[in-house]
Amino acid sequence: MKVINLLSVGLLSTALSTPVLADVESQDPIKLTTHDWTGQIITTTIMGEILQKAGYNIEYVQADYIAQFAGLKTGDLHVAMEIWETTGREAMDEATDTGKVVNLGESGMTAIEEWWYPGYMEELCPGLPDWQAMNDCAEEFATPETAPLGRYLGAPVTWGGFDEERIEALGLDFEVVHAGTDAALFAELESAYQRKAPIVLWLYSPHWAPAKYEGSYIEFPEYSVECYNDPSVGINPDAAYDCGKPVGPIWKVAWSGVEEKWPGAVAAIEAFDIDNEAMGALITQVDLDGVSVDEAVAEWLSANEETWSGWIQ
Amino acid sequence: MTQRIKLDCRGIWKIYGDDPGGFLARHGDKPSLGQFAQAGMVGAVRNTSVSVMEGEIFVIMGLSGSGKSTLVRCLSRLIEPTAGEVYFEGRNLLEMSEAELIDLRRRKMGMVFQHFALLPHLSVLENAAFPLEIQGVDRRTREARAREMIETVGLQGREDYYPRQLSGGQQQRVGIARSLVVEPDLWFLDEPFSALDPLIRREMQDEFLRLQSLLHKTIVFITHDFDEAIRLADRIAVMKEGVIEQIATPEELVLHPATAYVEDFTRHIPRAKVVRLHSIMSAGVPAAAYAGELPGTMTVAEAADQVEAASAPFKVLDEAGVAMGTVASRAVIDVMIGRTMT
Amino acid sequence: MSGTAGQGEAVSLPMPTQAQDKARKRGWLFWLLLFVTTWGFSQWSFALYKALDARWIIRFPKQYELQLDTVISRLMSWLVEEASFGWFTFQQFTRFLSALVEAPYDWVRSLLIDGFSTGIGQQAVQQVPPLSWIAVIVMAMAIAAYARNARLALLAGGCFLYLALFGQWESAMVTLASVAIAVPIGVGGGLLLGILSYRVPVAERILRPLLDLMQTVPVFAYLVPILFLFGFGPVSALVATVIYAMPPMVRVSTVALKSVPEDIIEAGRMMGCTQRQLLWKVCIPTAMPSLMVGVNQVIMLSLNMVIIASMIGAGGLGYDVLTALRRLDIGGGIEAGLAIVVMAIALDRVSQAFATRNVRQRFIKGVPYHQRHPLLSTVLLVLLLTTVLGQFLPFVQSYPDDYTLSTSRYWAAGMEWINVNFFDQLEAVKTVLLTVLLLPVKRFFGGIPWAWGIIAMGLIGWRIGGWRLALMCTLMTFFLAWNGLWAKSMVTVYLCAVSVLLASVIGIPLGVWAGQSARANSIIGTVIDTLQTLPSFVYLIPVVMLFRVGDFSAMIAVVLYALAPAVRYAAHGIRSIDTEMIEAGKVSGCTSRQLLWRIKFPLATPSLLLGLNQTIMLALSMLVITALVGTRDLGQEVYIALTKANTGQGIIAGLSVAFIAIMADRIVAALARRSQQRLGLE
Ligand SMILES: Nc1ncnc2c1ncn2[C@@H]1O[C@H](COP(=O)(O)OP(=O)(O)O)[C@@H](O)[C@H]1O
Ligand SMILES: [Mg+2]
Repeated sequence: MKVINLLSVGLLSTALSTPVLADVESQDPIKLTTHDWTGQIITTTIMGEILQKAGYNIEYVQADYIAQFAGLKTGDLHVAMEIWETTGREAMDEATDTGKVVNLGESGMTAIEEWWYPGYMEELCPGLPDWQAMNDCAEEFATPETAPLGRYLGAPVTWGGFDEERIEALGLDFEVVHAGTDAALFAELESAYQRKAPIVLWLYSPHWAPAKYEGSYIEFPEYSVECYNDPSVGINPDAAYDCGKPVGPIWKVAWSGVEEKWPGAVAAIEAFDIDNEAMGALITQVDLDGVSVDEAVAEWLSANEETWSGWIQ
Repeated sequence: MTQRIKLDCRGIWKIYGDDPGGFLARHGDKPSLGQFAQAGMVGAVRNTSVSVMEGEIFVIMGLSGSGKSTLVRCLSRLIEPTAGEVYFEGRNLLEMSEAELIDLRRRKMGMVFQHFALLPHLSVLENAAFPLEIQGVDRRTREARAREMIETVGLQGREDYYPRQLSGGQQQRVGIARSLVVEPDLWFLDEPFSALDPLIRREMQDEFLRLQSLLHKTIVFITHDFDEAIRLADRIAVMKEGVIEQIATPEELVLHPATAYVEDFTRHIPRAKVVRLHSIMSAGVPAAAYAGELPGTMTVAEAADQVEAASAPFKVLDEAGVAMGTVASRAVIDVMIGRTMT
Repeated sequence: MSGTAGQGEAVSLPMPTQAQDKARKRGWLFWLLLFVTTWGFSQWSFALYKALDARWIIRFPKQYELQLDTVISRLMSWLVEEASFGWFTFQQFTRFLSALVEAPYDWVRSLLIDGFSTGIGQQAVQQVPPLSWIAVIVMAMAIAAYARNARLALLAGGCFLYLALFGQWESAMVTLASVAIAVPIGVGGGLLLGILSYRVPVAERILRPLLDLMQTVPVFAYLVPILFLFGFGPVSALVATVIYAMPPMVRVSTVALKSVPEDIIEAGRMMGCTQRQLLWKVCIPTAMPSLMVGVNQVIMLSLNMVIIASMIGAGGLGYDVLTALRRLDIGGGIEAGLAIVVMAIALDRVSQAFATRNVRQRFIKGVPYHQRHPLLSTVLLVLLLTTVLGQFLPFVQSYPDDYTLSTSRYWAAGMEWINVNFFDQLEAVKTVLLTVLLLPVKRFFGGIPWAWGIIAMGLIGWRIGGWRLALMCTLMTFFLAWNGLWAKSMVTVYLCAVSVLLASVIGIPLGVWAGQSARANSIIGTVIDTLQTLPSFVYLIPVVMLFRVGDFSAMIAVVLYALAPAVRYAAHGIRSIDTEMIEAGKVSGCTSRQLLWRIKFPLATPSLLLGLNQTIMLALSMLVITALVGTRDLGQEVYIALTKANTGQGIIAGLSVAFIAIMADRIVAALARRSQQRLGLE
């Protein structure tokens, strides 16, 4: 170790290379947060690579999805690329209200969250994907613990979603069983899919699962704000939540100081725009085909040069 | 021989329990055994006074739990006595500051422990050199000195062994070497040979006497083994339940036990082993034929063979080599077979 | 704690006296009554509430609930945003600590992974490459050889080679870097605190409950505040790891120092040691073998934290496990998980070897340096060679990707095969267990009204450990109810009880077997070692695939994890029975069955109880993780708090888990102590 030390001192003092400093506002690294799902990491890596090409220094910091807002407020963290309308809205609003965090607009992707079933269920339950068919085959979905009600595998409780209310309002003969994490969701799906066993569960896009497994989202009555807030709206006049889940944009947010320190970078981030289809393809490449994130992103960057070069003008 | 007092302690109490000082005061500084029991206190050492002379081997003897270790730890101030005074070379040990005490121990005291107390991570050499290392003596000097000491105790060639690779007797030799490496004046040995097998113990006792004949230390030696005590001691203090029953030479102890307890203890001791010629000689040296001369300090057992084999009596000499009396085979045989002593 | 000494059971005579007999009968009556009453309450609490229209019976009245979580959350934001020491703010202080930790971490990372470079970002130019994989393997082998012998060196080398072969190298080095930083901090801090509580009795009394909490509050509960205080990134993960891994070191240090033989200390004092010399030159070296046990513990616990740490930015193998499982790459998860196991094995064996190391070479004059230090010289040579060669031959620098192995496909196929062919059978077993065991127990605990629960815990505490334990149990149980967590606590207790029961039923016989046969012992030992170091996530997901989301899956995962102490302590208990006792039994003509039931089991009771204690602790720590498969217990509460970044909620729920753990610990420990006294083993 001593040797290494000596070597490094020696080499440092004779270092010849003086790197070319690009023409950007600040050489300090911009800290982009990464979370624990692939899509977000891809989005963030694309953004990071583009910013690097524009001459900025980048640091990826792994942070918890919700806890990161504390860091964004203090300037410990700088940019978060995916705040989902469906799961992060509350925390985001709380943070932007303090004025220390700013919303940099939509990412172009739309978050879809809904009940989902594998394609082979259509044989057992011919009326699908219409939600009204669900009650006819609730027993198909039942397990010993829930019988005679059907079993609906819901998302972790923290994700919200009002599924209990929906079941009540629409008179569905189902019971919600909450998974603890999304990994548990997909484990059950994989297991059922291997056995061609009945299952209906919460899925979301963009994600690899809807791409890997053949199946569809259930079609509930269309979401509206009133449907959630006003019992009289919708098919059940006495209950709210008698409709499907909202779809919503995925937002980009940043620490408010970023605008002053790296205005050019902010412009690029605001310009960032990618759609569900492109993202879905990237996620599939990484999660199902085993391509590394870096490779997938590099490929995308070289194929879409004219798209992103516009963002860093 | 005019002897100076090396270590002197007066009225030592060591009491275990809650608030021992207060307990002592409440009972007028003289609580009885019953009061101890009632208060749930332990009087490990009770009102004990001892003077150790320069150059003598002073043995403290008693059954296990009688308070020997506690007493010797009070004498070295490893534990603080509840009451009493300890003087070392005239200086009050109990009033010394921590620094003075450390200095005193570094230069003047050595101690050997029943279970050797060697440092397991150090080799024999390092263990023996450890007291010097503590004092900041440089490596070369201290190892040279330690080698000398190791040689003295007969362990040369094992300098690089670790304690666990040595037998009990060898380990204790290291303990002895370590305690002597700083050339202390006062040497404490707390049951140094009790953990050893009988044969080894005997060998170590001889070794100990040999060392003492070379070094002339002042020694406080603790044992629960009366045989060991009479073999080694100049004087013996017999302890029982924290109190010293009697302090005397081995011979006096056997011949004139002060208490029933001491008598019990000494009863099985072969008289011949402790009784010295000057105690059984008939005073005066009438002109006659003598088989030879024997020192008065010789025990009867040691002299027996010669005296019995000779047809004439022996002259008995005092320390100055002057004949003081005579001893004949009959007197020796009386002692040997336990015929009435007078 | 000895308040019940007068109960008559603590003293044992060869022949039970009449009074004792009576006391024992009274004991049985007490437990029977307590159970029947509780069962009655549990059965009819709901009916009672309906009949009396008194909802407070089943739910702690909302208006009296303690709002401690908001207070804690507010305190936390005050700490983060406002607290100040005058010269600097609290946050600046914690950030300063972060920087202190980050510097060496970055250095080790550079050494192992990134290399040393100048400039930042894309202007960075690498000046010195990181250690090559060959150099790291050779170093690992040299350290192992130094610690023991060539065989251990081969084991260590093999372990690290696995990492390279299976393409885990880079992640493993990230994990190794965190361990390399967390362990010294944990060991150093633990040692200092241990010394403090050895020296200052007051410190020990203050530290003990703190350590209890550090060991029992689930890590998830304090991740959020740590993130707030220490920032996002690897440092927070390191801090969490240290908090989790340090307590055993503190305890071990205190105990080790206290058990330095009195005469060695006296020897030191008689030689004139100063206080400082006594501590550093006498006590600590003497206590070193025990201290190394603590070091070993810190290493193992740090590795246990790898997964959780990776959730807050530690990266490394834990992150690989998580991401692999998120995309249901079970094989990938298992490979990364096994990489953790392999690393744990290497570090464990080597650190244990250090604890018992004894050969030491001494300087021999006149021999050239490289012969005096063959290991060091080899390492230096390899280092130099690989660094230079690595510049020209890339495969020397880093293991080529094309030659990595993967078993991923086979795992996935195997899993699918089991799933497709055995799902129905497993489902049947599950249904039976659910109906005969889980659901009745759940109903029993779920029905207990909170007020009776508090009383019952007080009674149990009093009966077993006297009034102090009674008071503690009452207060802690009240805390659960007062914070509105009664229902979730009871789910926790139920899941824990069921899992511990099952773990004991499976583990104790295995342990007894292992205790009697060396062959069985080596096989069983390997399996449970693996189960304990393999991150639970790795088997959590397959378990969900086979048993679906729900309590049953949680229970399986908990049982797998908590099996180890039941097995180990049972084996240890059987093995440490005095052979004379067994010989006495044989001489009296016992059959081997009688030997087991009449002699071995009774004598192993204290050990079995200690095992039970540990099983409960592990089950509780695992329950928090099973929240990830959807249990509705305190673990879920902690996890919800984590995902919502709610400090107060997390800490309250965490404390609740800790309190349950502490109560269980004290009660079982008191039982173990009593049975030890009865057998005169103390
Ligand atoms: N630290 C202590 N606390 C309480 N009692 C003690 C302590 N040390 C010694 N004793 C008691 O003091 C008595 C004398 O012990 P000790 O001096 O070790 O005896 P010995 O060395 O003669 O075997 C014993 O009864 C012992 O139990
Ligand atoms: Mg003693």
